[in-house]
Amino acid sequence: MDGVHDLGGKQGYGPIDVLEPVEPFHSEWEARAWALSKGFGGGAPDITIDWWRHVRETSIPADYLTRPYLDSWLETDMATLVDSKVCTIEELAAGKSATPPVGEAVSISVEDAIAANRASATRFDRPVEVAPKFAVGSRIVAHQNASTGHTRLPGYVRGRVGEIHAHHGAHLFPDAVSMGIEVAEHLYTVAFKAKDLWPESANSKDVVFLDLWESYLAPR
Amino acid sequence: MATFDTQKASEIHRELHSHLPSEPALRVKALESLMVEKGLTTSETINSWVEVYSEEIGPKRGAQVVARSWVDPEFKSRLLADAAEAIKEFGFEGDATGHLKAVENTDAVHNLVVCTLCSCYPFSILGIAPNWYKTAAYRSRAVRDPRGVLMEFGVSLGTDIQVQVWDSTAELRYLVIPQRPANTEELGEKELVKLVTRNSMIGTDRILGKSTEGES
Repeated sequence: MDGVHDLGGKQGYGPIDVLEPVEPFHSEWEARAWALSKGFGGGAPDITIDWWRHVRETSIPADYLTRPYLDSWLETDMATLVDSKVCTIEELAAGKSATPPVGEAVSISVEDAIAANRASATRFDRPVEVAPKFAVGSRIVAHQNASTGHTRLPGYVRGRVGEIHAHHGAHLFPDAVSMGIEVAEHLYTVAFKAKDLWPESANSKDVVFLDLWESYLAPR
Repeated sequence: MATFDTQKASEIHRELHSHLPSEPALRVKALESLMVEKGLTTSETINSWVEVYSEEIGPKRGAQVVARSWVDPEFKSRLLADAAEAIKEFGFEGDATGHLKAVENTDAVHNLVVCTLCSCYPFSILGIAPNWYKTAAYRSRAVRDPRGVLMEFGVSLGTDIQVQVWDSTAELRYLVIPQRPANTEELGEKELVKLVTRNSMIGTDRILGKSTEGES
């Protein structure tokens, strides 16, 4: 999707707030928002991470760019809850449930939460029969066109030439998983020279690495 | 059941925009009340998560990993070979570290991490990401003007140093291993931990141990 979220290389967003305080949360609501998302699972129970990311991409562009990050994050949780019919917009607006509880949630302690985090490391690699098309050192060109749905091929490398830096086996393919279809594809770290990406970087020796799936790439 | 329908998702956002209060604190409060009433979580559980991410899960974890890599070359080899496995020696594995990768700064290379498409970050070892990491300003510029971004953070790099930018477009997450500061041979692992800043593990800080002023 060629949405507002695809920010790499866009210009005009100004300086960075390098003096932001180091504390993890800067207000009570930020702490509640983050923890709430952890507490109920961050969205409807039947979603995939890629569908969640896509739902965030469908935010109103002006909201995406201007609302505080965790607020926008929580709105994405809400949108998935409504989409999966866990609750309605009216219930969210009122902050009151129109139906009886679905069950009794168990309160967890700090220790439980630490253990739950530890158990949440997730792997996305999957075995596949098909051999990888590219080897480390292969030259590739990223496709000019990408999916109209969710994709992890950013606009700034489309049509650009790069080199395979590493192969990671096959990983779940976000363009499909965001649509509820679980398939895996070979994943590579691809190195793009800054001078091949940006007109003002002609004399640069800097490099940008991206992790890209096989069907985003063609041999060069 | 999720619809997996782009158009539908976009319509829901528009409805939320018109029906919900604009103030973030009110929106959070409404969702918390609703989730508790529905029996999907409890306020005690939310309190626990606030405490975990305020105290336990944060950049001090990453700092321990980095300091260990400075004093223990065998650990450093394991970390560079497979960081997702290596951090299990500390029990630090968790949210977004299933495919963690460590990248090392040297005299010739400086690493910088970004997620241009969303805000991917190795939460379980660095905690919640700073807000600047999630802004359009950082995400747009880190891949195009990394040296300008670094200058804003007070890091000035000569042209003899190559900048390697890592855009986290898949489930791989990146941890920068900053260089051990000069003249720290006398320091033990515990003292070294204190020198490692959060920003140095993202790549927006480079020379450690100068002072703690402006550290973020």
